[in-house]
Amino acid sequence: MKRFHLPDLGEGLQEAEIVRWHVAVGDRIAVDQPMVAMETAKAVVEVPAPFEGVIATLHGKPGDTIATGAPLVDFEGAEVVATTSGGNSGATSAATSQGGVVGHMPETDEVLATPAAAAPRGPRGRTRAVPAARELARRMNVDIDSLAGSGANGLVTLDDVLAATQSHGGGRMPVATSSMRPAADISESGELEVLRSLRRAMAQSMTLARDNVMECTVFDDADIEGWQQGGDYTVRLLRAIAVGCRAEPGLNAWFDGTTQGRRLFHHIQVGIAVDTPEGLLVPVIRDVGNSDAGRLRSEVNRLKAGARDRSLPASDLRDFTFMLSNFGVMAGRYATPVVVPPAVAILGAGRISRDVVAVDGRIEAHRRIPLSLTFDHRCVTGGEAVRFLGAVIADLQLPA
Amino acid sequence: MPRVTLVEGINLALARALADDPDVVLIGEDIGVNGGVFRATDGLQKRFGKLRVQDTPLAEGLIAGMSVGMAAQGLKVVAEIQFMGFLYPALDQIANHMARLRNRTRGRLTCPVVIRMPHGGGIHAPEHHSESLEVLLCHHAGLRVVCPSSPARAYGLLLAAIRDPDPVMFLEPTRLYRLAKQDVLDDGQALPLDQATILREGDDVTIVTWGAMVHDSMRAADLLMQEKISCEVIDLSSLSPVDHDTILESVSHTGRLVIVHEAARHAGLGAEIAATVAEKALYDLLAPVVRVTGYDTVMPYFAQERAYIPGVARIADAVRQTLQG
Repeated sequence: MKRFHLPDLGEGLQEAEIVRWHVAVGDRIAVDQPMVAMETAKAVVEVPAPFEGVIATLHGKPGDTIATGAPLVDFEGAEVVATTSGGNSGATSAATSQGGVVGHMPETDEVLATPAAAAPRGPRGRTRAVPAARELARRMNVDIDSLAGSGANGLVTLDDVLAATQSHGGGRMPVATSSMRPAADISESGELEVLRSLRRAMAQSMTLARDNVMECTVFDDADIEGWQQGGDYTVRLLRAIAVGCRAEPGLNAWFDGTTQGRRLFHHIQVGIAVDTPEGLLVPVIRDVGNSDAGRLRSEVNRLKAGARDRSLPASDLRDFTFMLSNFGVMAGRYATPVVVPPAVAILGAGRISRDVVAVDGRIEAHRRIPLSLTFDHRCVTGGEAVRFLGAVIADLQLPA
Repeated sequence: MPRVTLVEGINLALARALADDPDVVLIGEDIGVNGGVFRATDGLQKRFGKLRVQDTPLAEGLIAGMSVGMAAQGLKVVAEIQFMGFLYPALDQIANHMARLRNRTRGRLTCPVVIRMPHGGGIHAPEHHSESLEVLLCHHAGLRVVCPSSPARAYGLLLAAIRDPDPVMFLEPTRLYRLAKQDVLDDGQALPLDQATILREGDDVTIVTWGAMVHDSMRAADLLMQEKISCEVIDLSSLSPVDHDTILESVSHTGRLVIVHEAARHAGLGAEIAATVAEKALYDLLAPVVRVTGYDTVMPYFAQERAYIPGVARIADAVRQTLQG
């Protein structure tokens, strides 16, 4: 039998009165489980179980006064431990050695070694870096320890990391973290290539779009069966966009989510997505609304050629107010084109095909252009978007 | 060399100070006849007499105020507050008078008082008996705040505190009072008061801690060594002033810092250490500083106190966190 004696529940209190038992004879209880509420001169105190076990005897009933140090609870078992503080860590010392104290101080047999004084050591010589530079290097897989810092005392700055990513070009970068290191059989098939130039710009603008634009896409078709021979597909799309923008000026706009401001434009500047081996390029056709078909065609030719040989000046590559992706010349009918902020809309034109349509109850096969209009729903309403699309379709369906 | 517990180490240091210096006087509630709630002053009144070891009324404000008066008249007072939660009535005398005596008299008088008090929980005590209130003291200019982590350090630091001419708040980790023993040579040698101690050298992460959390941090370091993570454990020892140099030197070596304290997180001493490292060693850091602390709530009673006090698992998790990414 293990016997648990009433510990001092205050500082130097001589006795306490049983308020109520939380446990009964035969109960199996865990360490720290409340056994009994005892009222002292100071407060009602819950007395926790000092050890795990099965209760054999409760000494006293509610209302009884128990002297500090007198038996309170007996537990089943062979060992006799006359202690107020069985303890959870092998404590075995007598009750009196802890003093008249609240609670229970754990005791163990542990003996602490006295540590020797630390020997002086030299500096470790690790690269010092601006935290943002360290993080950028980690993301770009640049080994920061390989960089010569340009800051004070060799501090590696953001510029140092950026310079390293550019000087390495598309070539192999030192792999700094295990997270980007592929399994051996995969790494044989391709070295890590850090994006640069157009492809890097695409990654950034797409990330910007993903993080900022609330995109919504609607699909429809324009029936061009009535087109006269020799209709210029791209020029007709540009003209239709101009008609759509005149019907709904809210789509020929920029939106700034930070200031919650939008800017509607008088002139329609259409960026055309051009696929190049280096990546996506978006040259801009100015003032589409006031240009005739001849000028539009010559501008399209000039910009596409300039895009392919990368000869376009920067002035041809910025400030579009609407975007056209004419992907159907290759393949694909519908898409969910991505709006590139600050513009608010993009029209995608898919592959023309002959579709079965119902005309006055009869079945006919007509040439149709699949259209996909994505708009930034933060500042363009669904009504504006579909009215725009309706105007585009109506114009496209004109014979000439 | 006697093998003693932390509370016995304190008793040894008090006896040594009483024997060496006739100006040393001990005061406090139940420290004389009774020998103290934790038995820190056990046997001292019998050995040194009622003038040297005096029982006081249950009045912490009086204990602190009386200490200021006695110290101003040339005595060296070692006062005991029974539990840190009972410190509040004494704070007025400590902050407004004890800490300022040197400044107020332009250096003519100092205030050689040591106030000893238990610190922290883990002993299944009721309300007000398990607090970690070091920041209340650290915020006041003119006070030293010291917290030992082992019997030997308790002995050496308490002797240094008693010999120091200025007030020292001496926080005794309650949970460690009897937890382990250590060989302590009772040779009267004091330890330096304002130096942190590197208890364990390591290369990957620096753990800065004090008091009872030193024990858990050392066990966490043992556990992490099995995972090949090498922790440097610094026992801060002096909570005011803080030995920032030792921390900065260690962080420049490891590049990572985990601060462990039992006190609540908000406006805790860990924040001060983290801020100093950010100001002076940011470019040495390889990972954000992590704090492992008590929670921003009232220290719970016995049934929940283990959930409140940072343990080995939480410390080890924090160390692993600094090594991710």
